[in-house]
Amino acid sequence: MIPIEYFLILGAILFAIGAYGVVTKSNAIVVLMCIELMLNAANINFVAFGAFNGDVIGQAFVVMTISVAAAEVAVGIAILLNAYKLRKTNDLDDAELTSMRW
Amino acid sequence: MFIEYTYLVPLIPMLCFLIIGLLGRKTPQKGGYIAIAGALISFIIAALISYEYLTGDTYPNAVTASIEWFSIGDWTMHLGYYVDGLTCMMMLFSSFISTLIFVYSIGYMGEEGPRRTRYYAEVSLFLTGMLGLIVSSNFLELFIFWEVMGLCSYLLIGFWSFRHNDGDAASANAASAAKKAFLVTRLGDVCLMAGLFILLGEFHSLDYTTLFDTANIAAADPDMLTLGMLLVFGGVIGKSAQFPLHDWLPDAMAGPTTVSSLIHAATMVKAGVYLVARGYPLFVQNPEVMLFVGIIGGVTAIFAATMALNNMNIKKVLAFSTVSQLGYMILALGAGGYLVALGMDMGGAEGTALITAGVAGFTAGCFHMMNHAFFKALLFMCSGSVIHAVGTEDMREMGGLHKHMKITSITMLLGSLSIAGFPFFSGFWSKDLVLEIAMEAGHDGTVWFTVLWVLGVITAFMTAFYMFRMWFMTFMGEEGHASQHCHGESPKTMTVPLMILSVFAVASGFLILFGLDGVVSFNVTDAGFVVGGAEAGGVGHYFEHLFTNPYTYLTIVLALLGIGIAYLMYVKKSINPGKFNKDGQSWIYRLFANRWYFPELYNQISWKIGYGVARGVNYVDRQVIDGTVNGLSGAVVGGGDAVSKMQTGHVQDYSSVVLIGVAVLSVVLIAITVILGGM
Repeated sequence: MIPIEYFLILGAILFAIGAYGVVTKSNAIVVLMCIELMLNAANINFVAFGAFNGDVIGQAFVVMTISVAAAEVAVGIAILLNAYKLRKTNDLDDAELTSMRW
Repeated sequence: MFIEYTYLVPLIPMLCFLIIGLLGRKTPQKGGYIAIAGALISFIIAALISYEYLTGDTYPNAVTASIEWFSIGDWTMHLGYYVDGLTCMMMLFSSFISTLIFVYSIGYMGEEGPRRTRYYAEVSLFLTGMLGLIVSSNFLELFIFWEVMGLCSYLLIGFWSFRHNDGDAASANAASAAKKAFLVTRLGDVCLMAGLFILLGEFHSLDYTTLFDTANIAAADPDMLTLGMLLVFGGVIGKSAQFPLHDWLPDAMAGPTTVSSLIHAATMVKAGVYLVARGYPLFVQNPEVMLFVGIIGGVTAIFAATMALNNMNIKKVLAFSTVSQLGYMILALGAGGYLVALGMDMGGAEGTALITAGVAGFTAGCFHMMNHAFFKALLFMCSGSVIHAVGTEDMREMGGLHKHMKITSITMLLGSLSIAGFPFFSGFWSKDLVLEIAMEAGHDGTVWFTVLWVLGVITAFMTAFYMFRMWFMTFMGEEGHASQHCHGESPKTMTVPLMILSVFAVASGFLILFGLDGVVSFNVTDAGFVVGGAEAGGVGHYFEHLFTNPYTYLTIVLALLGIGIAYLMYVKKSINPGKFNKDGQSWIYRLFANRWYFPELYNQISWKIGYGVARGVNYVDRQVIDGTVNGLSGAVVGGGDAVSKMQTGHVQDYSSVVLIGVAVLSVVLIAITVILGGM
């Protein structure tokens, strides 16, 4: 039996990598992928705690999270596509995209 | 049997108002016949009610019934009717004269076209106001109808404010006259309302039955009662055009002559006198209040008469004479009330004698009100007939009209004789009774009333002079510019009401010999105050006195002298009026012609005070209220602008803030858990 700490450490590492990517990368696609990483880090924690407690609620939550994440990615990609169509860039630091704030 | 249906008296003209207003356009005469029918039905019902009441068992106690309208806390307001001798007399002459005026309107307003619908609807509402005011069972109800009349007078005086046959200046004049009437009477109405609030505070009710109860009056604070009645009298000053709020009434001549007739004879200005008569039990609680009432009345009488002396406008002369006659009525009520108040203070046989004398003042005031209604309605309608025929209101352009319009001329002569106090015409009886009471109050009370009596006698002389100056200038002498284009006598719808009214103007004075004085007397009994029920002929000894009293002959001689001087000045031309006034240049002539500079005074007051207040209000509105609203929204917009600078547009900045925030929150949470839980 693998101790639960291992799973938690894996989740924490994945979350840290995702957070780092979200904050530093300027490519919007990469940022979206990093967000997925963070979500999956949380999913690992859910499953691990579910197995540790011996119930299925953790797994049920993960199914929910995956479906919501899929929807969110679809929306995110759609926004990016339209932004790209309008501004011809997917660089988040580009003035073409930062000027969309107001 | 009929008294239960008293509410119909004001309700029927109200229905007429609605019918004419909604459907009048499609009916013949644009609703005129409906208005006449309504007034006539009201008159018939009023006559039946009066007959039943005066012959019934309850007479002279008032018959009253009411339903609960609403209550605030322990104050309950009622809606109902209150029938006594005064109510009967008032509703009879109001509805009767209104009926005749409406008939006359068919002829007089005949050329007004579709706008007659508005006219007939408004006069019906006007009549509703007056009749409702008369039958009201409490002061709140009275106040509502009082305001209905205020509104109608505004609408009717300004009837020609949209389009006047004499052009734009005349229509602007009508609009400003209507505004003036509304605002000046409003000043009085505010006083009245304040007075009613005081009465409500003292009595916890505005029902007449509660207010006129001796026990309740004894329980009330006399100082508050005095203040309340002075404020109520403020309302009377506004509505009945007493000094110093008299100036709206002459301007109100800008309306159609029928409206003037309605305002001066049957409704509106009579409401103020009625209010004093109705509130008599409360007014007589303090002699000083009654002295004030009497002084206002006496001063108004002579003051208005001076302005009528040199006015050239036929309607304005009549308007000033109305103000003057209203002064007589108020003087009579004040003098009589003063004696009653003194008598109640004194008590005993001497007090009873004073009360008996004072009661005659009440009768005199009410009696003069009724007689005045008849002859003033007649005079206005005659002047309307003249204006209709010659197309001008300026008497200098008239003259010699007697041979063109005989009926108008003779009926107007009868009215003029009546108002001048020619012996045995109706005005003679009541005017001399008024002067008699003033004399009596001066004799038994204070010397003030003797002064007022002198003013009254001088007024009687002036009345005779200016009325006959008007009649001679209009109907006698050589033909003026406008008389040559005279259309001849007015149509039958106009002359028949004139003839009917002239009968009353001549003979209504004799009613007092047939028991009217008993019906409109005022009794102070231990149980309370009762209008009516005195033995018929209760003021009889005053009439005996009238013919043995040298002062009566003095007023008769003065009246004849006035008529004579007018004859010499304006028919024989043997006295040149220009000699007295330096051809209109003397200061006193200009003083009268400018109405004692009262319009200027009003203007100054309204400019200085009204404009000042308006400016202050404007400042508060623009700077304080708008400033608050604009400042608040400006602060929100500015704050939003400032904070929006934090939005850099870099998604990573936002996510960093979120991450750091979550991290900080986690650390804090863990720290709290460690500290509290001691993990």
